[in-house]
Amino acid sequence: MPTRLAPTPLLTGLFTLLVVALPVLPGVPPFWLTLMTYAGLSAIVVTGLVVLTGVAGITSFGQAMFVGISAYATALLTTQGGLSPWLSLPVALVLSAVAAWAIGAITLRLSGHYLPLGTIAWNISFFYVLGNTDALGRYDGLTGLPPISLFGHPVLGGGEAMLLTWGFLALSLWLTHRLLRSRTGRAIRALKGGVVAAESFGVDTARVKIVAFVYAAMLAALSGWLYAHIQRAINPTPFGINAGIEYLLMAVIGGAGSIGGGVFGAVLVTVLKDQLQNVLPLVFGAQGNFEAIVFGVLLVLMLQRAPDGLWPLIVRRSVAAPPERGPAREPLAPRPAAAPGTVLLEAANLKKTFGGLVAVNDIGFAVRAGEVVALIGPNGAGKSTTFNLVTGVARLTSGAVRLGGREVTGLPARRIARLGCARTFQHVKLVAGMSVIENVALGAHLRGSAGPFRGALGLDAAEEAALFAEAESQLARVGLTACRDLPAGSLALGQQRIVEIARALCLGPQLLLLDEPAAGLRHQEKQSLSDLLRRLRQEGLGILLVEHDMDFVMGLADRLVVMNFGAKLCEGAPATVRRDPAVVEAYLGSAA
Amino acid sequence: MDATILLLLLQDGVVNGAIYALIALSLVLVFTVTRVILIPQGEFVAYGALTLASLEAGTLPGTVPLLLGLGGLAFLADCAEGRHSLDGRGLLRLALRDLALPGIVAASAWILAPMKPGLLIEILVTLAIVTPMGGFLHAVAFRPLAHASVLVLLIASVGVHLALTGLGLVFFGAEGSRTPPLSEASFPAGPLLISGQSLWMIGLTLAIIVGLWLFFSRTLLGKALIATAVNRLGARLMGIAPALAGRLSFSVAAFIGALSGVLIAPLTTVYYDTGFLIGLKGFVAAIIGGLASYPAAAAAAILVGIIESVASFEASAFKEVIVFMAIIPVLLWRSLRSAPVEDEE
Amino acid sequence: MRRIVWALALAGTVLAGPVLAQPIKIGVTIAKTGPAASLGIPQANTVTLLPTEIGGQKVEWIVLDDATDTTKGVANARKLASDDHVDAIVGSSVTPVSLALIEVAAEAKVPLISLAASSKIVAPMDDKRRWVFKAPQNDGLMAEAIAAHMAKAGVKSVGFIGFNDAYGDGWLAEITPRLEAKGIKLAATERYARTDTSVTGQVLKVMAARPDAVLIAGSGTPAALPQKTLKERGYAGKYYQTHGVANADFLRVGGKDLEGTVLPAGPLLVAEQLPEANPVRKVALDYTKAYEAKFGAGSLATFGGHAYDAQVLLANAIPVALKTAKPGTPEFRSALRDAIEGLKDVVYTNGVVNMTPTDHVGQDDRARVMVTIENGKWKLLPATN
Repeated sequence: MPTRLAPTPLLTGLFTLLVVALPVLPGVPPFWLTLMTYAGLSAIVVTGLVVLTGVAGITSFGQAMFVGISAYATALLTTQGGLSPWLSLPVALVLSAVAAWAIGAITLRLSGHYLPLGTIAWNISFFYVLGNTDALGRYDGLTGLPPISLFGHPVLGGGEAMLLTWGFLALSLWLTHRLLRSRTGRAIRALKGGVVAAESFGVDTARVKIVAFVYAAMLAALSGWLYAHIQRAINPTPFGINAGIEYLLMAVIGGAGSIGGGVFGAVLVTVLKDQLQNVLPLVFGAQGNFEAIVFGVLLVLMLQRAPDGLWPLIVRRSVAAPPERGPAREPLAPRPAAAPGTVLLEAANLKKTFGGLVAVNDIGFAVRAGEVVALIGPNGAGKSTTFNLVTGVARLTSGAVRLGGREVTGLPARRIARLGCARTFQHVKLVAGMSVIENVALGAHLRGSAGPFRGALGLDAAEEAALFAEAESQLARVGLTACRDLPAGSLALGQQRIVEIARALCLGPQLLLLDEPAAGLRHQEKQSLSDLLRRLRQEGLGILLVEHDMDFVMGLADRLVVMNFGAKLCEGAPATVRRDPAVVEAYLGSAA
Repeated sequence: MDATILLLLLQDGVVNGAIYALIALSLVLVFTVTRVILIPQGEFVAYGALTLASLEAGTLPGTVPLLLGLGGLAFLADCAEGRHSLDGRGLLRLALRDLALPGIVAASAWILAPMKPGLLIEILVTLAIVTPMGGFLHAVAFRPLAHASVLVLLIASVGVHLALTGLGLVFFGAEGSRTPPLSEASFPAGPLLISGQSLWMIGLTLAIIVGLWLFFSRTLLGKALIATAVNRLGARLMGIAPALAGRLSFSVAAFIGALSGVLIAPLTTVYYDTGFLIGLKGFVAAIIGGLASYPAAAAAAILVGIIESVASFEASAFKEVIVFMAIIPVLLWRSLRSAPVEDEE
Repeated sequence: MRRIVWALALAGTVLAGPVLAQPIKIGVTIAKTGPAASLGIPQANTVTLLPTEIGGQKVEWIVLDDATDTTKGVANARKLASDDHVDAIVGSSVTPVSLALIEVAAEAKVPLISLAASSKIVAPMDDKRRWVFKAPQNDGLMAEAIAAHMAKAGVKSVGFIGFNDAYGDGWLAEITPRLEAKGIKLAATERYARTDTSVTGQVLKVMAARPDAVLIAGSGTPAALPQKTLKERGYAGKYYQTHGVANADFLRVGGKDLEGTVLPAGPLLVAEQLPEANPVRKVALDYTKAYEAKFGAGSLATFGGHAYDAQVLLANAIPVALKTAKPGTPEFRSALRDAIEGLKDVVYTNGVVNMTPTDHVGQDDRARVMVTIENGKWKLLPATN
């Protein structure tokens, strides 16, 4: 499913108009305003969840805890400390952020299903700690909070509270929108395309996860602060695990992949629950308690109709919004190429065992600037494993890898990327829902420096323009400019491989590692790929490729390294290798 | 805390843990086959206990009309699912499974309930009422979502949980019930007094673990289920329909759930919403077992039970905090042991 | 000209019409679902028995479920105040939600009659709590009775096992100073959750402290589990429960393990055992009959009585307020508040009420009796103090 980051401007405009008009329209029942206030409060939390769960793929049941941390912080500060709510807001935000950072540092290490369970565990514990802490009023909670005052006027409820809430929601949406489009945002979105791919472009995925976690917690905290001062009495129940589940439910039902979906889900669930209370007694009579039942059934039905959430059905737009074009910019200055013949990559005695199985045994080779080396061999010969050993994705059992004369054995992929080594993948690892150009720009991650703050606040325009200009030029170089704004997932597999090459080039590499780049390409496409690689060689890049397509390799490579059963069979120029009896034996033997 | 108290707490923990283990086993089973994290598993437990309590009181439990309703919905869902290939015989088979079977169960419950036919028969009727619900729920709620993500399946699971809990409140009211024990006997063992009921419970838990193990390692159907879990396409090629496997796993889960309910109802008071928290602790155990391993899940369940028991002695107000914080290090340990970032196929 | 007159007349009817025809509206927000459903359901049932005419005015009861959730409760109260323009709000069933409703009542200037226990809801009296009244007995009143009974029975130390929620908190806070005053030691305080399947740990801890008596603070059937576990472990001391258990389900689930348990309760629980002279007897019996006629014999729970009592308070205050203002107006709500505050010697199912500006519960000793459980039934204990 493509990630739709924002609704169309028209829809946004209409909706904004509706929200602003609601409190002043005559005949609108005042409770609608209250209801929309609650919907807005939830929507702020859910927007954070869209970033965390929908975009970064980190499922959290624990957002209610961060709402609670902030609500209790502001309650204590304003009732006992006598602070104005406006002064307690930054404290509450920072406190939640620090808590999220600390909790995230532990919890985000959890993998797979352990992570959601971890968030459940935190949230349940949080509830009982609140309920048993005297200073926090135990289960009765804290009462008598002051209302937020705006220009000396207290915001008590009704239309004012709604406008305040939706104002903050609009701010959250704007920040989130900016953040997700920024350099950090692309890194967050890249988590879904696979951690390995992100790491190999220098993204510190652990840090990016924390950023997403802290950001979501801060939005939850904003909601908690508003909640506390609109409600003016708090106790542990609204911050329990049930609330946490409900936030996630809102995100999924609306469509966790998009900001619009999050807001829609929050409004829908809030309104639905209220309307059920009005409608059901007419159907079943006043005595039953059927709201939860009907709500549960509707939830399942909606998911069956729209497993990606309802928002995508409403928006019906399959193309991710093209990123805004900044002022036209020069691409980034090209990195100096290494002098031809310099040894870029040196692999010596590589060995990898899985359990007792030797996958790669005593492999060694070198790649110099301005040459194309191909790693070939029958299926299961250990080519891809060798590739992963060189790029730091898999750990060496023994042996050494040197990049530009520097020992990189044991370094993680993202450190290797810093040394000017870029790669593509055998199984394409693009972020399917992100536009092609943004996928390519991800390759330039290391050539920018803007962090989440600059991104969210929109202070990264110049850098972004440069990164995108670079991405455009690399996309032009591989001849896919026409696909610029299409979701990467909508391209043919062969084209996706080429996009990966453009992404790799964005890193400004000296060494390019390509894993089966020609697979799935048509003849013409192979031709132009071949031309491109020749040009790159001419520019001084060193290229290592793993390939099955012999015609492609023979015409292009300067040297071949042939592997069989994890060991090196022979090495040399294509013509020499072709005549090597061992190679003939291996190929004919396995092919026959 | 002296040794006697420690022994008593351990005994209590093991008995509680046995229930968590039963729930964890069902969760693992359902997850491996369908990728659904079955939050409503706890509701099966409550339904089992409260249905038995209703029968015990000589009244027709509300779960009976629910069974008929679910059967009817499942029939419609099955017809819709098979609309392209359904012939007369197929339709008859569906009608037998979805309409006639619950009909027979409902009729026997209706006849037997006022007669108070004794605990054993009542237990059998209870199991007959709750077990088919699993398969029906799968057909109605989850089969149409077979290709959805784990997260969407999880939220659908939350939806089913909300609906079933709400129905539980309507059927059984807000107050709880208990049933008489399966066995009044008790055996002194040192300072402990071991009740026949807790022996039943642990014995049946072990029996179910062994049964599941045998089922999956020895029977063709069991192997087929595992195959579906490992590779859905492959299983389909081998002639195993994932939908059938899913339905079967849900029914087994409902059966184990109802049986757990029957087992705990004499030991404690069961409420319409008892299921959630014990389901959550079963979930904890299942996750620690990696949602894959039965023995690991069962061991984790016993561990959770013991931690809970000791915590309720040492600091009862913070019991849940202790239980849930104690699992964080376990989760970390499991995470570190599982493969690091390698999503390469 | 004539057209203008017509228009004015029409406008006049439109504007005045709703006010003239407006019935008195009472909003009710209670926990029909969620953890406190065992309180909210009998309360919701009771509302169906309430009169639809008071003081010659039609009365409309609007019942909403807050699912024992604060946010929902506050939303309900705002809805009732802003959209339904109710003249009074009754609810909610538990203390935390009721505490949050205070803000809404004070903001909308609607009288609120809470159906929850804690005295924090109405004390200390301040500008906001002016609008808040409470039908059930304060926990303190009940705790007082238990402490007195314990002292008389020669209890020197007590073990406490209570809900790990606001109810348990409230009881612990009220009983602690009262036991101290009587020189009784609180030997152990243990907590458990409503749906816990085992309380063995708590029970062992309490028994290790060897108290003369155990006080269990829970509501409804969940309060039976600690007692059954204590019996199972052979605890031989005295058993006390709170008024939260007062329904037939508790007796059903607790069975023979409850024999001899002592608890304070509202007189409603043992209405037919009250002396004829007790004015509460008739009111309580009438309510019991009406309730059980509709919902089955033995279905009475004292929680429902609190909803009935809220109605009694309103029914006595509304005619007074009607003298000064029309329903649906701020003046009426204010007059109603004043009228409730001025109620004297009003008899309801749980006692006799005398409100004052500082006491918005208005009860005295007549609002509680001591009860024991004998042969699976509630039995009134003779008044000893």
